[in-house]
Amino acid sequence: MNQPGQQTTSAGGGGNFIPAPRQDMEYICADCGAKNEIKSREPIRCRECGHRIMYKKRTKRMVQFEAR
Amino acid sequence: MMPDGSRKSKRQPTFNTIQREESFKNPPKTGSTYPILNEFVTPHIESFNALFDDSGLPKGDGDGRGLLSLGLKDIGERVVFDGSGELGTESGQRGWGNRLSIWIEEVSIAPPRVPDRDTWSTERKIFPTEARERLTSYRGRMQAKVCWSINGNIHPDQFVMRDCGLVPIMVRSVRCNIRSLPSAELVRRHEEPEEFGGYFIINGNERLIRYLILPRRNHVTSLLRPSFANRGPSYTQYAVQIRCVRPDQSSVTNTLHYLSNGSAMLRFSWRKQEYVIPIMLILKALIGASDKEIFDNVMMQDYENTFLTDRVELLLRSFKMYSLYTGDQCLEYLGDKFRVVLGMPEDWTNQALGAWIIQKMVLVHLKSARDKFRMLVFMLRKLYSVVSSSCCADNPDSPQHQEVLLPGYLYGMIIKERLEEALSQVRNQIATDVRKEEPPVDFLDKRYIIKVVNKVNWDIGSKMSNFLATGNLVSPSGLDLQQASGFTIVAEKLNWMRYISHFRCIHRGAFFAELKTTTVRKLLPEAWGFLCPVHTPDGAPCGLLNHLSRTCRIITAPLSVAEIPALLAAHGMTQAFSSSIDGRKNLCVQLDGRVIGWARQLVAHQLATNLRIWKTEGRHKVPLDLEIGFVPESKGGQYPGLFLFSTRARMMRPVKFIANGKDDQVGSFEQVYMNIAIKPDEVELGVSTHVEHAPTNFLSILANLTPFSDFNQSPRNIYQCQMGKQTMGTPSTALQHRTDNKLYRLQTGQTPVVRPHLHNTYAMDSFPNGTNAIVAVISYTGYDMEDAMILNKSAHERGFGYGTVYKSQIIDLKEMRGATKSSASPTLHFGLGHDVRTAEGNEQHACCQFLDKDGLPFIGTKLDSGDPIAAYIDETTGRTRFVKYKGDEQGIVHEIRMLGGDTGDTELQKLHITFRITRSPVIGDKFSSRHGQKGVCSQKWPTVDMPFSESGMQPDVIINPHAFPSRMTIGMLVESMAGKAGAMHGLAQDATPFQFSEEDRAIDYFGEQLLAAGYNYYGNEPMYSGITGQEFAADIYIGVVYYQRLRHMVLDKFQVRTTGPVDPVTRQPVKGRKRAGGIRFGEMERDALIAHGTSFLLQDRLMNCSDYSTTWVCRTCGSLISLGYDDISLGESSTGTIKATGPGGEYCRVCRAAAEDDEERARQALTTGQNPDRSPLPGVMVAIPSSNVLRSSSKGGDLDVVAVPYVFRYLCAELAAMGIAVSLEVR
Repeated sequence: MNQPGQQTTSAGGGGNFIPAPRQDMEYICADCGAKNEIKSREPIRCRECGHRIMYKKRTKRMVQFEAR
Repeated sequence: MMPDGSRKSKRQPTFNTIQREESFKNPPKTGSTYPILNEFVTPHIESFNALFDDSGLPKGDGDGRGLLSLGLKDIGERVVFDGSGELGTESGQRGWGNRLSIWIEEVSIAPPRVPDRDTWSTERKIFPTEARERLTSYRGRMQAKVCWSINGNIHPDQFVMRDCGLVPIMVRSVRCNIRSLPSAELVRRHEEPEEFGGYFIINGNERLIRYLILPRRNHVTSLLRPSFANRGPSYTQYAVQIRCVRPDQSSVTNTLHYLSNGSAMLRFSWRKQEYVIPIMLILKALIGASDKEIFDNVMMQDYENTFLTDRVELLLRSFKMYSLYTGDQCLEYLGDKFRVVLGMPEDWTNQALGAWIIQKMVLVHLKSARDKFRMLVFMLRKLYSVVSSSCCADNPDSPQHQEVLLPGYLYGMIIKERLEEALSQVRNQIATDVRKEEPPVDFLDKRYIIKVVNKVNWDIGSKMSNFLATGNLVSPSGLDLQQASGFTIVAEKLNWMRYISHFRCIHRGAFFAELKTTTVRKLLPEAWGFLCPVHTPDGAPCGLLNHLSRTCRIITAPLSVAEIPALLAAHGMTQAFSSSIDGRKNLCVQLDGRVIGWARQLVAHQLATNLRIWKTEGRHKVPLDLEIGFVPESKGGQYPGLFLFSTRARMMRPVKFIANGKDDQVGSFEQVYMNIAIKPDEVELGVSTHVEHAPTNFLSILANLTPFSDFNQSPRNIYQCQMGKQTMGTPSTALQHRTDNKLYRLQTGQTPVVRPHLHNTYAMDSFPNGTNAIVAVISYTGYDMEDAMILNKSAHERGFGYGTVYKSQIIDLKEMRGATKSSASPTLHFGLGHDVRTAEGNEQHACCQFLDKDGLPFIGTKLDSGDPIAAYIDETTGRTRFVKYKGDEQGIVHEIRMLGGDTGDTELQKLHITFRITRSPVIGDKFSSRHGQKGVCSQKWPTVDMPFSESGMQPDVIINPHAFPSRMTIGMLVESMAGKAGAMHGLAQDATPFQFSEEDRAIDYFGEQLLAAGYNYYGNEPMYSGITGQEFAADIYIGVVYYQRLRHMVLDKFQVRTTGPVDPVTRQPVKGRKRAGGIRFGEMERDALIAHGTSFLLQDRLMNCSDYSTTWVCRTCGSLISLGYDDISLGESSTGTIKATGPGGEYCRVCRAAAEDDEERARQALTTGQNPDRSPLPGVMVAIPSSNVLRSSSKGGDLDVVAVPYVFRYLCAELAAMGIAVSLEVR
């Protein structure tokens, strides 16, 4: 299901490292709140209701600010 | 509570906290929480609704058709001939051939819907929130049914549905998908529970069409303008004017000018071109009136009035030169003159054209020619009356002669004109095709006509969007308006106060803003109750941009008044057709600019009284919104008559009719002649007919929200209206669905303890705007001088005035460098490319700290200026590129919106990122109380050092007592007492103005309360210095005042620089905060330094910190610009005989050339023995003191290095370019 049009050789950057597999990202529909897995270059559209706006989910990564 | 504790009466809560929490948790499922909010935008919404046939408005006297339908009727048809007819046949003597007429049968505008190509969406409606979030417009599809007939044969098949594009729809109007939804549903649709609509959404912005003041329709006003005399020979300053409005709300202004020879000229404009016609021509053309009939009608038996007889005689005589005797001749004449400009069908006779122009341009509010004739005669009589000074000129700046241009009506007028234009284009296209004959046009070919209709640009939607987005009116006729731009404004959601006042503001017109005279800005007594005297900005738009009073309504429903003429006739009015009316004794009775009869003064007065009783009691079907303007006879006053108005767009307001205690609606015309008491105890028997419902009704919503405003000096209330709108408050309760560029939010908003009654009515508690602060009025530490205020550091730490700014950034890959124009397959994609190492470890790319795998930032990431906020891959290069965070202060990624396309089939190309920027109060931030008392925080003073009272209370805010004497904001002092008492007793204090009097004083009322709470009667207490612990010699006035934090914050304003960007030409620092520029040290500042003799400072500011530069100057010729270099890298002076003078090989080119010349000349002189002239001296001599000479060249040559401002060098170069040499004298 990966995009066929993607370049296999890294055109720049120099490094010959293996790219990390493109993971699906989960987004939240702005209308119905359903979770949607949208890969890059897929249309922005909710699978449940067809809505055209997605919110990015809050990261699970630790976000810590220096408390002053 | 009883003092003995025996009977505890249950106290009613005054803050309604529980109730409000409940309505927030569970918004009402039917209706809205605050119904009044829907009421005050009705003029916006209903005027828009009026466009449609299913408007839901009452029918009035019409058939209930919308303005668009009425407009289509007025447009009529366009006619074109195919030229196939033979000369002399029945198809016309010029061989016109087949007659094709085309017209628009109907137009429809649908509610906003998802396009049909989108097959995925389960919800087919589009809601306003999507338009806002996706930064698109909230639009519905418009279609027009274009019909045609050939030679008058109408065939049902001969029509085509033409798409007119997407037209912006007003939110909450009849075409809106959230129309009349209850609060609960609105919340579900991501709106505020209090959403009231009235605006359009254009590219994600909320824009509204502002009310505009126009001359009152269908009413003759007399004008006296000296500029009229400049219109041409024999024109005078006298004129009468009437703005006539058609049923579709488009208008034409007719002006009747008085000429010095006694006759009058009627002026109107057609396609921005002005035309003037003798009034006699129109009078005759209308009904074919004989000279005698005109004479009788104008004279009205007043034969002794020689002024009138003379003028009417002149009027009749002067028309003899035209040799037009019958009405038909006049029509023929008119049609002949106007045929060229009208562009009407060729087969119309001159007479038909003449009748048409009169119908289209003269007194268009009247249909019948007889009515027009009577009205014109009335205008003539009024004109002569003004000229003879028996009545005065009307004041066009008075609200008495004004009405309002409503958004929907303007919108309808523009649509009508666009449709008319499109239809004319279709006609012109066919006419061109007929003329070209390639191929010959066949009218019977349906496909041909459909092709032509489709060929013409019918995209009315984009034109309307453009109008709303820019506020610019593109119109061939100008729509009878005085301005062509500035119709729309953005409804800023800065805070609730500002937002709601947008919908109540009313502008006088851009034309008047440029006017030198200030008479238009004057506050007139006629505006009482209609325009707020307090709520107007100070500065440039003062008095031009007003706000409607709280209770002022604008009529939007058509009224049914068809039976009123008969009713009045039955009660003693002489009918209009009566031939023997004495004009000296009778007053004209008019209904919406139509003469319906005549009555003697007493009868007219009785009719007016009757009508008022009937309308308040609903008898005889007299509508309540009828305006009964009875102007009594006076010596040199307003022209008398009984003028009834039932049309829309009038300002009216409710008052109580004393006679029967019923509610009455009063208009701005009639109010001038009425006696309305403000309070019931002011009613004067036999004089007052009405009494106000509330004495505060004349104030606007915002002015009403100032507590105890009646105690303040009036300008302070004006300032509060300004500052209330700049407060950092709660802009919206649906914050996460807002996409505004910048939103200010106060985190710790409170409900004020002291608030007027209307605070609750207008949902102010849902959108808190400030914080209750303990305020001590004391001069302490000196940091409260000059309107500064000291903030208690602990109050600050507890969150006093803590705020947040939400900024947004839009990232559109389509606008990036390297984007393809075609939207089908974009070459830029969000994401991290292979050139970015994402694996964790030392090699990881720096952007991975901020960016997720999809190239978008993690939500919650803290960003500094220049950090990446998005990554995208360029397909053509394969490289990853980054978008940087633009702000210059730390922001936190708050929300990321991924915006899809209209049909939901495009990949991610557009992002909307909201940043949250914390703004805790800092020194330099601006605060204000609600009494126009603004101040800047000067220190955050440690709590231990703040003064304290006997109970240990410490103020949150300290202000200086000097803030009061000159400003006289007693309201703030009263608020302080009331707040203190309210806080102690747990009461929300009512601060409605005009509640107290000399007998029942506010001081006493709140003093008693304070006494009951154990405080001093007058609100002052003994306090102790926080530093020494000693009691102050005076008692300190301390209480609770509601403080607003204003949006003006130092962080947005400070401007500091040492070095930085400079202007490339002058090398002086650039200006502007955005570009890290400097602040101009101008001419007057320079004067101050000179006056002080601080020359080193002067040099530092104007030279060293600005454009300091060093340059070589030639001692001999004084030139700055003649520097040349010798190449001395290979040793000294290898080239010529003349030595370089500088250490780096510098020399003066002028002097060297002169020297070489001299040598040459010397040689020549030797050979010829002649003495040639020396070179001329330079024009400008400037002396440079020796202190400016930095170093002389070591070799004793002529060049010196001096310090000069760089601009001076530039000036020298510029002057040299003009042939002026500047010479410096180096000492």
